[in-house]
Amino acid sequence: MMTHEEASELLAALALDAVDSAEREQIEAHVAQCPRCQSELDSLREVASAMGNSVAALPEGLWSSISTRIYEDQNGETPPSELILGGLSESTRSLRAMSSRRARTLVSSFSALAAAAIVVLAFSLASANGHVSRLNSALNRSANNVVQAALLTPGRKLVNLKSSAQVELAQFVLLPDGRGYLVKSNMPALSSNETYQLWGVINGTPISIGLMGDSPNQVGFTVSGGPTPSSLDVTVEPAGGTQMPTSPVVASGAA
Amino acid sequence: MQEFSEASDAQLVTSIGRYSEVALAEVYRRHGGAVYGLARRVLNNATEAEDVTQEVFLRLWNQPDRYDPVRGSLRSFLLAQSHARAVDAIRSLNSRRVRETNEAVKTARAEYDMQHEVWDLTVTHHVAQALGELPEEERRAIELAYFEGHTYVQVAQILNQPEGTVKSRIRNGMQRMRSVLVEAGVQEVE
Repeated sequence: MMTHEEASELLAALALDAVDSAEREQIEAHVAQCPRCQSELDSLREVASAMGNSVAALPEGLWSSISTRIYEDQNGETPPSELILGGLSESTRSLRAMSSRRARTLVSSFSALAAAAIVVLAFSLASANGHVSRLNSALNRSANNVVQAALLTPGRKLVNLKSSAQVELAQFVLLPDGRGYLVKSNMPALSSNETYQLWGVINGTPISIGLMGDSPNQVGFTVSGGPTPSSLDVTVEPAGGTQMPTSPVVASGAA
Repeated sequence: MQEFSEASDAQLVTSIGRYSEVALAEVYRRHGGAVYGLARRVLNNATEAEDVTQEVFLRLWNQPDRYDPVRGSLRSFLLAQSHARAVDAIRSLNSRRVRETNEAVKTARAEYDMQHEVWDLTVTHHVAQALGELPEEERRAIELAYFEGHTYVQVAQILNQPEGTVKSRIRNGMQRMRSVLVEAGVQEVE
């Protein structure tokens, strides 16, 4: 076991990745139980990162490569050929499959297609995440204003989501710039281990827009670039959501 | 309505934990250029730098909980990952590749906002100044280690100096740089 003095002498070298793997293990073993060295190492790593902080122009296609690998990891296949996400627009290319997989189910990241579809869930997060419940009242007020403004926006489109028995369960307003908001909901509250999940159907494939929580109230999202969903669907999924619908559509409406 | 472009880095990482690829895209937009730039500088190879950048962001996607905002900035965390992977790539080769001509690192053009670009440039300026003010032997040891991926033992061999001396020079130089950066206001006081 490395002593404190030995380890502290090498912290700067470790921050520069200038030790071999055996030394690294020994130093890290000491650091793990020495808050002083941990703090010193964190600080020196900030210095090292500052040295490497120049910004290069990003290569064309790099984001697509990353996104494609995420997609392949989840789906074991190559996504469609166009990815537009948050202002990034690149052609995708086939890449090797990822070796490691995130073990949890996936909510909103259907990379290529999700790109075309969405995802700003500022309001729904309030209902999906208890940590921000205290913000609900403020969100409610601002959300109502946003929805009212959306309803008055020229070119807005209303989408009525109905059950198979043609009962209207929810209404969304979609704006020409891609934003969408829940106007009203008659969907019954679910148990806390379930959530409503909103899907945009693109070329017949449901793409997760995001979670609506167990008692939908305010939901907002943005469709960023790419094809517009032909319809909006809602399913009931386990809390945390799923990558693909696992239950029948409870409400659907042509967009 | 909060847009991801306005979210803090810590909020973005939380959203990545909820499988928001849009949040990952925003982190990439903010920090991808730095991650790629550092890997490219260390590796002097664009293709390998792209591989490193991919690995860094896929790791963030797969293990967002490895980032602890209490221990430092997300930029620093990602750069540390990028550097470690780039160095691993260098050391895994039996012999050093013929390196591409090292293109000058360009200033921020990662579609990030002007405020952060200015900050990046400010940090870059102060770091260059801090490095320049170091005694030559300390600066050389740090540069060989950090930008060329050598261990301090290898640096000692290159400089024909005792290992203990190089170890001390790296340590003293890093501490001196930290003081300069803290004084310049681009690094927090620990």
